[in-house]
Amino acid sequence: MEGDGVLMDYIKNTISDIPTEYIEDYKQNWLKCKLKDSKDILTITEKLKKLGLRSISTISPTDFPNENKIEMNYFFEDLQNRKNCWVKCDIPREFDKCKIDSITPIMPSANWHEREAYSMFGVDFINHPDLRPIIVSQDYYGKAPYRADFDWRAHEANQLNNLKAIVDDFKSDESKNEKILDPLGSDTMLNWGPTHPASGPIRLKVHCDGEKVISVDPEIGYVWRALEDLVTRKDFIGAIVAVERLCFMDNINSMTGYCMAVEEIAGVEITPFAKWMRVLLGECARVSSHFMGLGNFFNTMGLHTLMLWNMDVREYFLDVLESYSGARIATAAIEPGGVRYPLDISIFKELQAAIDKFDSVIGDIEAIFVKNPTMKLRASKVGIISKNEAIDFALSGPVARASGVKTDIRLDEPYAAYNEVKMDYITAQNGSAADRFRVIFEELKQSVDIIRQAKQKIEEGVASGEFDPQKDHMVKVPKKLPAGEAISRVEWARGEVLMHLVTTEKAKSPYRLKMRAPSFNHTMMLNRLLADKTLSDIPLVFGSMYICQGDLDR
Amino acid sequence: MIDAFISGFLFPGVLYALVWTVGLFWFFRKFMAPLHKRVGPYYNGPHGSYQTLFDLSKLWTKESITPTGVNPYLFSTMPLIAVIVAMLPNVVIPWTNNGPLLNTPYGLLILVVLVGIEPFLLFLIGFGSDNKYSFLGAIRVLTQAISFETAFFLSALAPALLFSTLNLSKIVESVSFVSFLILLPSLILYFISLLGLLEQPPFNIPDAEQEVVYGFMTEYSGTGYFMLQLAKFVEFMAVFAGAGTLFMGAYRGIFFDSYLWFFIKMVSIAVIMITIRAATPRITMEQMLHFSWRYLVPLSLLNLAWVMFAKAMIFTGV
Repeated sequence: MEGDGVLMDYIKNTISDIPTEYIEDYKQNWLKCKLKDSKDILTITEKLKKLGLRSISTISPTDFPNENKIEMNYFFEDLQNRKNCWVKCDIPREFDKCKIDSITPIMPSANWHEREAYSMFGVDFINHPDLRPIIVSQDYYGKAPYRADFDWRAHEANQLNNLKAIVDDFKSDESKNEKILDPLGSDTMLNWGPTHPASGPIRLKVHCDGEKVISVDPEIGYVWRALEDLVTRKDFIGAIVAVERLCFMDNINSMTGYCMAVEEIAGVEITPFAKWMRVLLGECARVSSHFMGLGNFFNTMGLHTLMLWNMDVREYFLDVLESYSGARIATAAIEPGGVRYPLDISIFKELQAAIDKFDSVIGDIEAIFVKNPTMKLRASKVGIISKNEAIDFALSGPVARASGVKTDIRLDEPYAAYNEVKMDYITAQNGSAADRFRVIFEELKQSVDIIRQAKQKIEEGVASGEFDPQKDHMVKVPKKLPAGEAISRVEWARGEVLMHLVTTEKAKSPYRLKMRAPSFNHTMMLNRLLADKTLSDIPLVFGSMYICQGDLDR
Repeated sequence: MIDAFISGFLFPGVLYALVWTVGLFWFFRKFMAPLHKRVGPYYNGPHGSYQTLFDLSKLWTKESITPTGVNPYLFSTMPLIAVIVAMLPNVVIPWTNNGPLLNTPYGLLILVVLVGIEPFLLFLIGFGSDNKYSFLGAIRVLTQAISFETAFFLSALAPALLFSTLNLSKIVESVSFVSFLILLPSLILYFISLLGLLEQPPFNIPDAEQEVVYGFMTEYSGTGYFMLQLAKFVEFMAVFAGAGTLFMGAYRGIFFDSYLWFFIKMVSIAVIMITIRAATPRITMEQMLHFSWRYLVPLSLLNLAWVMFAKAMIFTGV
């Protein structure tokens, strides 16, 4: 840990010749600085890249109409060495002046994040290689729906024309395909989704020649619910229902992330008991997510047995969530200030039943599916991501770890009670689809091990009177928060979730919440992974990237 | 006249094919369920056995949608032709000890040719659907058929070589325990190519739902889809019956000869097929081609050599 401080100072010195309003330490592993001039963004990006901060987690604009500015937030990360940098700068708000240099040529991971900022806030990125709108449908093009002065009601009132815009765009897209493809050749454009047995609500425009894939262009946004805007209309507690809908598979950890940001602004420290409960519930949710992920991987190869076997075990973990919160999927169990409900210690019997069930079947699953020779034959040579690629494209979670990147927020930036949990990085070396499958499987075992630790700790704490399960679950968080800004990171089932929360003085609801979700970066990789492969590899690689459309679109 | 009516519509004709389809469909679902840790059809009838009947009757009364841009006559008649062609092998198979409906010296030839035509019909079905996924699936059907038919024909040829006849009744009569052992490698090869020909895992490449959206079946709904499913299950019957006839002595059994023995033999092949289905993921096109031409076809040729050797050295009695 001492080494980190030295590294931070080194970074501070290196970027100190760029004119900044301030450079300050933030949290354990972060440096926060604000540029005086937005033109310096390229310089600082290059410098940070040389220092090893090669990944950009996300780009989050915040709209301040009263001050007539848009504040840009860049989150630079070094995935392996626990040093990160938060760079801010202001740009003008008028549409024609709202411009900043694109950092995509330097950091490829910024590509889609810049496109998102362009679609949602109308920020123009100069020299971006492919600045098309993303996520939003055609009727929102050029309208910047996340700006504070966007009138949603007026937009909704114009529904017929909106639909027309979408249809017209689809038709022009279709006729364009006719022109660019040779009518005598065998090239074709396949719509892999949004209504495809294996796609889920995403559309991959697959340009292929017979069975061979030439390029893949993902079109996302089919389940865009504008969650980041939705939270601003709710109070700080009500916002958790929007946050947990990032993806229902692992709803607990995304709420934990949001609540940590709220608690930081409110200056509240939660009780150790609540911290352990967050670990316990979070790992239950991770187990339920990983089970679905593993099953889905085999589904893409036409074998549904694993999914059904997994669902059988998963139900037991959902039972625990249900007994605690009353809901199996959307639990709303984590709240700013702790966890929502007092703990009835008798649900630990159900938890023990879940662990026993897990222990009884995990051996069979490993023998039949993880060691399956046909699976290895297919999956160990496709979807290969090198370690450098994983870092450059800011991949996270099991996908990055399968490529040998030692990154895990639970260890890098421990939150809740993870600093007391015994665990280690689970990595693989080759970064193929089969490696990702194995990493997720090993993490499943790790999660159950963490559940055991948390269960034991809570049981001991309750027995010794250290924890009071009826009272310790919550500390009071004021309804109105001061003006402030915070980020929080959690290791979500699918990777890193970064929450950037902005509040105004005496606010009852968030002013801006940016949720960085891992599937966004993972989907960005699809074209690189699938070009020159065959149609059979599309579902397999897609499934192995552990993508959830919920957090892809938000 | 009445005989022709009975054999055409009851046994081994249309009704038999329908009952077999409904029964096997139910058996597939019910047998697959415990492997999946599920219950399967449950509510309708004993052990949910009416469920498939209801499903199929629902399918054939539903609206069939014909997409614009296709030839409607071709689109709706092709599934019917597929069913008829799949049913035709029934006439040459010796179901009971009365022998087959059509007792011909070329029974085996008729069987393999009729089984071999089916993939081409499926290709036409996919080709006529005017859908990109159907077309891709159709091409896959052809590729796979070409790859597996060679091995299928060669392994089906082995009993004919051993017993020096193409007459299926004579083959059945000649089968003994010794000949079963000699033909065991042929049976295994026949079974593997059967998986490929019937598009079963790990070779369910042409109708892979995750890749090409059920391939040639994408555009079919209602009656058309029902016909295709019927054709598929009747095809199962023909190929299973082929295995039973060629290698396992069809209706012949212990203590008494009856259709029951034939049925048990066919169902045991189905059981192995479903078990493989529940435990094996799909392989890719290239791996299938690689497997078929590098291993399966050469092994089938070697197998023929073994059968001829065995005929000369061990099986001289016949």
